[in-house]
Amino acid sequence: MPTYLLRRLGQSVLTVFLTLTAVFLLVRLAPGDPAAAYAAPTASAEELVRIRGQFGLDRPLLVQYGIYLRDLVSGDLGTSYSFHSPAFDVVMDRLPYTITLAVSAIAVTVLVAVPLGVWMARRADTRRELGANILTITGQSMPDFWTGVMLLTGFAVVIPVLPASGFTSWGGLVLPTITVAILQFALVSRLVRREMTTALAAPYTTVARSRGVAERALVWRYALGNSAVPLVTAVGTRFAALLNGVVVVEVVFAWPGVGSLVVRALETRDYPLIQATVLITASLAILVQLLVDLLYPLLDPRVRLGKAA
Amino acid sequence: MKDGTQDIAKDGTQHVATDGTPLLDVRELQVELVTEHGIVRAVDGIDFTVGRGETVTLIGESGCGKSTTAMALLRLLPDGLAVVSGSARIAGRDTVADLAAARAVRGRTVSLIPQDPMTALSPVHTVGRQLGDAIRLRHPALGRAEARARGIELMRQVHIAEPERRWKAYPHEFSGGMLQRVLIAIALAAEPELLVADEPTSALDATVQAGVLDLLMELQERTGVAILMITHDLGVARIVSDRIHVMKDGRFVESGSAPEIVDAPAEPYTRDLLASVPALGPWDEDKQPGPDSAASTPKVIPHG
Repeated sequence: MPTYLLRRLGQSVLTVFLTLTAVFLLVRLAPGDPAAAYAAPTASAEELVRIRGQFGLDRPLLVQYGIYLRDLVSGDLGTSYSFHSPAFDVVMDRLPYTITLAVSAIAVTVLVAVPLGVWMARRADTRRELGANILTITGQSMPDFWTGVMLLTGFAVVIPVLPASGFTSWGGLVLPTITVAILQFALVSRLVRREMTTALAAPYTTVARSRGVAERALVWRYALGNSAVPLVTAVGTRFAALLNGVVVVEVVFAWPGVGSLVVRALETRDYPLIQATVLITASLAILVQLLVDLLYPLLDPRVRLGKAA
Repeated sequence: MKDGTQDIAKDGTQHVATDGTPLLDVRELQVELVTEHGIVRAVDGIDFTVGRGETVTLIGESGCGKSTTAMALLRLLPDGLAVVSGSARIAGRDTVADLAAARAVRGRTVSLIPQDPMTALSPVHTVGRQLGDAIRLRHPALGRAEARARGIELMRQVHIAEPERRWKAYPHEFSGGMLQRVLIAIALAAEPELLVADEPTSALDATVQAGVLDLLMELQERTGVAILMITHDLGVARIVSDRIHVMKDGRFVESGSAPEIVDAPAEPYTRDLLASVPALGPWDEDKQPGPDSAASTPKVIPHG
């Protein structure tokens, strides 16, 4: 187990390192000049050269990369060009908002989609199940900016019960959460439905029924217990994705999360900020995946970490 | 029936006294299954009874409808895919007509010993949890610790070594034969009057089969439980049965006492079944002899 953990952590560090290297190169290969974005539109060519020198962008790529890695090892993620403060701090200011939205959206997803999937499994191939499928797939298919705007119109304008934007009260969390969760319902409920249908048809369910186990226990204990691994995997993956920020939803609701920050960083060619955002969100996502993997042996006693191929 | 309020013996004598009918009374049972190839009549109007303490065997090749019969009288066939008609009275209650009756007798009056022990227990719950559930279902007043004590005693009765340690083990940590013993213990937790054993040894190694059959007969002797045995192995049927029904294409082609069927089979089909029993061991049922089975066959010594 400790060997497994060390190996997985090593892999994670390597993954993050490769991601950083790719991002470092890609932002510099992409067209656009940080100095031009930073300076006033009327800035002279000399002015731009001076700014590039100030950011260290006049040096050879390899030297820039070396400096970047050296600073990284000492815990310095650079200074954001546009915020004039350490990139790490800028990202960390936004991160709590992103995490709050991700946790709340995943919680709503699980609370709605799991019972819905169970319900669908018990009414497999009926018209009602088809209806539920159509509803959730419609939810998934609607563009999130549209869903967001519709919810805003409905609950902040027509019936003004919730704040339209920002996160000044817990009420402000409701509409962004619903907008994000609606995108997840179809995926999670159909996964639960598929796993539950298999589990409910499995011999152990029939045998449990034969010894008088009540239907409710069959469904919630036996069948759901046997569906836990794929369910936790799917939910974990969705959660990790949400930690990278949900750009459109953040923009619609003026949500001060990482998603809208990264858009701004890209627009201003703020290399240190882009790199810091990627480093932090990628590390978080990888950490979540690792935690999910560590959960497997608890969910299924047949899983032994590090024993499989 | 007054579920869970009386012990077996009291319950049993009561039923004999009140109606004198057989424990299991199947009349005109017919099962139609919806399959990909259309509707198939898997069981085509069969009648049989099982008396208290008796062992009755339904024998036939795969697809003859014997397991479907067992599942139908426990109402365990998928609702949308099976149409069952006729009647199956278990201790006087018709499980075909009344789903509530089926629910009431399951895990109390009747228990199932399934075909493949390896898939018959939830892989993510401990054996103790599943056995404990069965015990608490029969005796809802029992606490967890009492159920555990009783479960460990049951595991001991089915000859599982170190039951205290194995209580916390998961199904994948057991061998097939051990799991079948666990499933028998779970079946016994119901303190049933009737055991439905659906090919209880078919998925097991030849040497293990003998042990499981021995155990079933030992338990029958001790508790007086009736057994409805489903098998394709006349070797098994010969050893355990009081009466045998030979089944083919959903009907009984021949019925009689075990000696009648085995020693003087009237039907060619029964003779074919008899001929398919390997001479050296009644529990060996390897259809395609390979190097392994050829090597192990001479070691199987018939107990019967």
